[in-house]
Amino acid sequence: MKKPWQVMTKGDWLIVLTLLGVSIAGIAWLAAAPKGTRVVVTSGDQTCFIAELDQSHSVDLDGPLGKTHLVIDATGAHVTSSPCPRKICISMGPVKHSGDLLACVPNRIMVRIEGPADENAPYDLLSR
Amino acid sequence: MSWNRPLIIGIILLLLALGWLRTNSGDTELVRRSRLMMGTIVEIVASGRDTGQLEAAVDDAFAEIARLDRLLSRHYQDSDITRLSQSSKGGEVAPETAEVVALGLDVARRSNGAFDMTLGRLKILWGLDQENPVVPTQAAIAEALEGIGFHALSLEGLNLIKRSPQLMVDLGGIAKGYIVDQAVMVLKKHGVTSGAVNAGGDMYLLGQHPEHPWRIGIQHPREQGGILATVQVRDKAVVTSGDYERFFEQDGHRYHHIFDPETGSPARGCQSATVITDSVALGDALATALFVLGPQKGLELLAEYPGSAGLIVAADGTLHPSQGWANYQGAP
Repeated sequence: MKKPWQVMTKGDWLIVLTLLGVSIAGIAWLAAAPKGTRVVVTSGDQTCFIAELDQSHSVDLDGPLGKTHLVIDATGAHVTSSPCPRKICISMGPVKHSGDLLACVPNRIMVRIEGPADENAPYDLLSR
Repeated sequence: MSWNRPLIIGIILLLLALGWLRTNSGDTELVRRSRLMMGTIVEIVASGRDTGQLEAAVDDAFAEIARLDRLLSRHYQDSDITRLSQSSKGGEVAPETAEVVALGLDVARRSNGAFDMTLGRLKILWGLDQENPVVPTQAAIAEALEGIGFHALSLEGLNLIKRSPQLMVDLGGIAKGYIVDQAVMVLKKHGVTSGAVNAGGDMYLLGQHPEHPWRIGIQHPREQGGILATVQVRDKAVVTSGDYERFFEQDGHRYHHIFDPETGSPARGCQSATVITDSVALGDALATALFVLGPQKGLELLAEYPGSAGLIVAADGTLHPSQGWANYQGAP
């Protein structure tokens, strides 16, 4: 009885290797996909800032009214100063769970937490 | 048995096909988008099998929100509401405007005026949207209350009639909810059976979350980032009105945006009121009415709406759940 590799032609090997290559590349691509939770900020319709939630950061975000100051620390992402009149964005406090949103509506700044679904999140949406 | 090429290649292809099926078949796609609209964050979530269908549904839902906001907001010069406020006697309105006003008038009547859509001048006087609001004088408040009240507004077909020329219509306590309801209708028309439309915390939960019933956290009125309760719902609206988001403090007192039409000042009986009911428009109006009425009268009003439940946090921080609230209560 012949071994499998003894009956395969060069063309067979080419097909097998191509399929294996595609599979390995696919697995590598999936493995390289971002796994962490990120802070994504849009100003108007444009994404203007992206950072990892687990790395402390501080940034000024430009909007039509001026600069909104965003801080990322152990408590999450939160606005510490804003040129808007009512400062609702500051009073909203930190956001940290995937899917959480924070915005300064007058200054057109929106902060979104993106990442894998947080199994430990106590809720899907917040009514306030 | 002997090995052959077709068998080997066939096995490899079969394994690849099974792998592909494992990663794709049965998976529920989730489309989640948010935009700044109606003066708040509007978030739409839709889940299902067909991403293209979900994307189209969400696009159309956002378009419907934008259309209705232009019709119902007092911040647009050409809206029905601005036109009505500027007219001396009222006039014909769009069917959507008439529908909102009809529901609002019904809640106003049942709540004996605790919910009131005629507070436009009073809200401008208090200026909570402005940078440095101050407490108005009693004389100015009394003037802003003249000629208003739910009896001063009536609807005949599509004709909205003002009893007083200076009456300024304000649908702030109901329009956002109505618009969310209409966005949900758009999702349904596209065949979406699982999703959510959330406008700044006023939301409708369609079907159930892809993995479990929708779990909705209720904001604690005095603990920033704290959760007062968690409810589990499907095909329900959840709306909360509270004194903690739009307010200013003067001489040790908190002045917030939910006004008692009797006094012309912020209502003092509650810290927050949450309502679970069948439509966001109704929930929006009821949450405001409950907040103004306070725990006892508020829960009496809620009992008039079968299938509705609520949780009121009184001014002293005590919790007042309605009879049906426990049916929705989830993990703390």
